[in-house]
Amino acid sequence: MSDSIAEARGVRKVYDTRGVETVALDGVDFSVGEGEFAALAGPSGSGKTTLLNILGALDEPSEGSVIVAGQELGKLTATELSDLRLAKLGFVFQAYNLIPVFTARENVEFVMELQGVGAAERHARADAVLEEVGLGGLGAKRPLELSGGQQQRVAVARAIVGRPRLVLADEPTANLDSETAARLLDLMAGLNRHHGTTFLFSTHDPMVMEAARRLVRLKDGRIVDDSRSAGG
Amino acid sequence: MVWRLAFRGLFRNPRRTIVVLAAVSVGIAGCALTISLNSGMAQQMVKTAIATELGHLQIHAPGYEADPELRILLPEGGVRATRAIEARLGDDGVRAWAPRVQGQGLVNSPRASVGVRVVAVDPEAEARVSAYADSMVSGDWLGEPGRVVVGVDLARRLQADLDDKVVLSVQDLAGDLTGRAFRIAGVFKTPSMAVNQSTLLLRIDEAQQLFGLGDQVSEIVVVADADRLVGSLRDSLSRTLGDSAEVRSWQELQPLLVYLVEVMDQLAWAIYGAVFIAMAFGIANVLLMSIYERTREIGVMMAVGMKPRRVVLSVMAESLVVTAVGLGAGLGFGALCIWLLRDGIDLSLYARGLESMGVGSRIVPVLRLNDVLAPAVMAIGAASLASAWPAIRAAGLRPGEALRRV
Repeated sequence: MSDSIAEARGVRKVYDTRGVETVALDGVDFSVGEGEFAALAGPSGSGKTTLLNILGALDEPSEGSVIVAGQELGKLTATELSDLRLAKLGFVFQAYNLIPVFTARENVEFVMELQGVGAAERHARADAVLEEVGLGGLGAKRPLELSGGQQQRVAVARAIVGRPRLVLADEPTANLDSETAARLLDLMAGLNRHHGTTFLFSTHDPMVMEAARRLVRLKDGRIVDDSRSAGG
Repeated sequence: MVWRLAFRGLFRNPRRTIVVLAAVSVGIAGCALTISLNSGMAQQMVKTAIATELGHLQIHAPGYEADPELRILLPEGGVRATRAIEARLGDDGVRAWAPRVQGQGLVNSPRASVGVRVVAVDPEAEARVSAYADSMVSGDWLGEPGRVVVGVDLARRLQADLDDKVVLSVQDLAGDLTGRAFRIAGVFKTPSMAVNQSTLLLRIDEAQQLFGLGDQVSEIVVVADADRLVGSLRDSLSRTLGDSAEVRSWQELQPLLVYLVEVMDQLAWAIYGAVFIAMAFGIANVLLMSIYERTREIGVMMAVGMKPRRVVLSVMAESLVVTAVGLGAGLGFGALCIWLLRDGIDLSLYARGLESMGVGSRIVPVLRLNDVLAPAVMAIGAASLASAWPAIRAAGLRPGEALRRV
C-alpha cells in the first residue's frame, strides 16, 4: 500500500439534532494512500459523506483523530485548517456548488487566487484545466448557462487546479445522466493516472464503484468491507 | 476578489438590492434635506439677528452689558472707538460701522399708545450695517428730519399709516419726561416679529436732542468683512480700547441665540442617529437574509480554502458596496432636491410662528460640508457595524455544517 495521505483513527461522529443523537460514524479506522482511486460505498445514512467531510477537514469528529498530509486536524486552528484545505485538498460536490456570480473560469481561478497565484499564471492554468476537462471556450459562461455535466466538470477543474494531493468527491455523478457520468469518471481516472492525484469518492453509483480500484463499504457508520481490484 | 464578490453580489438578487439601495438613498437624501433646511433656518436666525439688532460686534461704554441703561454712554460720539474702527476698515477687517442711541419710549397715535424700543441711527451709516433700509415695505427710509420709520406690526398696533403724525414720549437723561411729534416716513418688515412689533427708528441727531445726550451715543455697531473675522476683530478692538469700552461679539450679546443654534444642530444629529439606526437594522436584516440564502456558497468558499477572516471581509465588503452606492445616490438625490429648492421653501402659512423665532417665511436650505461628510461617515459606520455580526456568524460556521444547509 502507498503512503497515507489521509487517515482516520477510531473516528466516531454523533449528530445532535434538537436533543436527538444520531451516530453517523462509529469507531472508524480508515486511511487512503497517495495515488489511490478509491470509493466509499454504502446505503444512505451509512456515513460515507460524514467520513469524507471529516477527512476533508470540513467537519470535526466527536471522538478519534484525523491526520491529513501529516497534520493532526484536531490540533489546527480554523485558519490553519483553511490553509490545509487550500494547499492539499480539492472538493467536488454532488450539487456542483459553483459560485453563481462567477464565470466558469473565475470559479476555477478562485482557488488559485486564494493561493496567491499571480493573474497571468492563473489565467493560463485555468484555461489549461478547462481545456483538459473538455470545456475550452466555455470559460466565460456563468454556471447557470452550463448543463449539469458541464458544471460538474467546472467543479472538477476547480478541485484539481490548485494541484491538491487528495480530491474528495461526494456523489459526483449523482445528478448526471449515465453517459455524462461515464465521461466525468474517465476524466478523473485520467487525472489520477497522469498526475497521480488521489481521488476518494463517496457514492452509491455502481459505475463509480466499478471504476474505483479500492472499494470501502460502510454500513451503520462502520466499515464492513474494504476490497481492492486487481489493478489496485 | 473580496470586492469583486461584493460588486457581483449586488446583482445576485436585484430586487432586494434595489430595495436596500432605495432605503439607504432615501434615508440619506431625507437627512441631507432636513439638515440643510435646519441649517438654513439657523443661518437665517443668525443673519436676521446680525442684520437687525446685533451686527457682528457692538462697542459700548463699560457697564452697559450688565445694565443696558440710557445713561451708560460712549462720550464724544464714541470717537475713540470710531478711530480704532476706522484703522481697521477694508479687506479682512471692518466692512462698515454705525453709531446708535438705544432707548425706551411711548408712542401715541390718534388711535393707540404703544411702548416702543427707540433705535436712533445715522441713516446713511445704518444702511451699511443693517437690513432696516432694505426692509422697507412702504414709504421711505429715514432722511428728512422729523420723520420716523416703524415696524409693520407696530404700525398696525398704532393703527397708523404713512405720513400720519405720532408723538414719541421719552424720559431724558436728566429723568424728565419729554416728547416730540414725528410723521411716519416708512414702514419696515424684518423676519423678526419682535423687531416688527416694537421698534421705532429715528435720526440719531434728533434722538440725542430728545434724550438730552449731547454728542454721546449708546453703541457702535460693527460689521466685519467676513463671519470668520469676528473673533479676531473683537480681540483686536478690545486690546486697543482697553477699559474704555466693552467690545462684544454677537455670540456674547445673544448667548441664547447661540444656544438655540446649537440645540438645532444637536437635533439634526439626533435625526441622523435615528435614521442611521433604522438603516443599520435594515442592512443587517438584508445581510442576514442574504447570508442565510448563501450559507452553502459560503460553505463552499471555506471548503476550498477561504480563511474565516476573508469571509468576514467579503460579507462586510458587500454591505459597504451597497451602502456606498446608496450613499452616492442619496447625496445626489438630496443635492438635487436642495438645488431645486435653491430659491427657498415658502412657509407663509407658518409665517407668524417663524417670525417669532426671527426666521422669514421663506427658508433656503443650506448644505454645509459637514452635512455631507457626516452622513458618509455615519452610513459607512452603520453598515460596518450592521454587517459585522452576520459576517462573524458566517465565518464561524464549519464548512461541513454550512454545506448541509439547504
